[in-house]
Amino acid sequence: MTGLFWAAVRFQAQSLRRSPEYLMSLVTIPALTIAFLAIVRNSGRDDLVPYAVLGAALMTVWATALYVCGELIESERYGGTLEGLLAAPAPFSVLIIARISLVTVVSFLGLAESGLIAWLLFGVTIPVPHPGLLLLTLLCTAFAMVGTSSIMSALFVLARSARIFQNSLSYPFYLLGGLVVPVALLPGWLQPVSRVIFLSWTADLLRDCLRVESPADAVPRLAVIVGLGVLAFAAGLTMSRAILRRIRQNGSVGYA
Amino acid sequence: MSTVIRDNLRILRCAFVSAFADMRATYTWRTWTFAWLVRILCQVTLFAFIGKLIGNPATTEYLVVGNSVFITADIVMMVCATTSWERMAGTLPLLIGAPASPFVVFAGRSVQWLVDGLACSTVSLMLLAPVLGVHLPFSAVLLAVPMVALISLSVYAFGLVLAGLALRVMSARNIIGRLGSILLMVLTGVQVPVDFWPAPLRVVAQFLPLTHGLEAVRTVLHGGSGGTVLKGLGLEIAVGFGWSLVAVYTYWRLVASGRKDGSIEFGG
Repeated sequence: MTGLFWAAVRFQAQSLRRSPEYLMSLVTIPALTIAFLAIVRNSGRDDLVPYAVLGAALMTVWATALYVCGELIESERYGGTLEGLLAAPAPFSVLIIARISLVTVVSFLGLAESGLIAWLLFGVTIPVPHPGLLLLTLLCTAFAMVGTSSIMSALFVLARSARIFQNSLSYPFYLLGGLVVPVALLPGWLQPVSRVIFLSWTADLLRDCLRVESPADAVPRLAVIVGLGVLAFAAGLTMSRAILRRIRQNGSVGYA
Repeated sequence: MSTVIRDNLRILRCAFVSAFADMRATYTWRTWTFAWLVRILCQVTLFAFIGKLIGNPATTEYLVVGNSVFITADIVMMVCATTSWERMAGTLPLLIGAPASPFVVFAGRSVQWLVDGLACSTVSLMLLAPVLGVHLPFSAVLLAVPMVALISLSVYAFGLVLAGLALRVMSARNIIGRLGSILLMVLTGVQVPVDFWPAPLRVVAQFLPLTHGLEAVRTVLHGGSGGTVLKGLGLEIAVGFGWSLVAVYTYWRLVASGRKDGSIEFGG
């Protein structure tokens, strides 16, 4: 299984070299940093600069995962190889998770890009008083992101057109995940929904990592991110098994 | 002369039919309403909440109006993707080999985004803005709708130019469309007034679609003078017309160079 995982990672690395559009969000979304920073600068609220930079970076991670989940399924379906992958003895979900893992890890470069844009275009640098915790949070986030991706890829197999979901799951999650605006500002009835989305915990903790004072309850908050990631993995694998059984039975792999 | 016009109108009508067939293949009314429209409204809502985070109601209103109008441009920029689908489907050589101008086909082939964009912007201005606490005069919003339609046409012309470039670099088709859209979002007064940017960027903004039209929409919503509104709309039409001419030239060059170097089938 481990060998299969790394083989799929290597395959995806080669795919990235030939198809850089997998990383399209790394080119486009950090550019949103410019829009966010312009808004806060124009309003004289430089204290909100970290919100802008972190928000755009997390949007990059989510958008990349969303794009890759949809593209992997669509490209295999378009190329007529999806049936072959499902018929092979190697577990399909391990292949997909491995390929998404690589792209997710690379997508964290969006954080550096957003920081660089803030520095080059607005002359703003963001001190990181808690770098260790920041790194740990990013690691836990990568784990939870890959887990959540396993749910999305399972759904995309079932969907007639994965692009509808690809196009539709971006901004609702940017908003509910509190990526730019903290969940506390959302209406009260929406906040419980946000709390089951790992991104809301990630965004809050990352913002706290950029404050001078020590983040409160860091370990339990990291545990929640990992816990939501584990739940997502379990849900993704269960859904993947059920969906694959169904489309094998009704012969709709190529045209779900 | 009248035969040429009649033939081109017939081709345009066929392209419209193809565009809406594409739309029906992509969305059902349920997925459009509950997935796509919700996603678009969340985009406007996100920026509205940035305004609330800043804590200034005027900023919130500025962002809600700007982003409600911008989403039509954002959607219309999908012309880059749908135009390039023709090359992916292998139909470009047939379009170029046909006696009609390929530009007429491409000009009509992505009009579904105009309707989609206008519908989303209208819903955002009429229904979402009040929910977000931005109360715009209803009569002014009604006046703004045809102005948004005009803006979407000038953005469409701009998008057709970028789509012509995307046909040459197919691997970058999505990036070209997205970067074009972000350029409009940043420079044309959607998030911050054009005056916020350095002088060279302010000059660039004058030649981009959306800048003047959005300014006119803001003027209407604030009960400004008719003269200012008409001036803004006139400039928007002029910018859109300019980009239309560039688009015609772009497709003419694409066909001419493709015929010359044999890249019509395999280019991009």
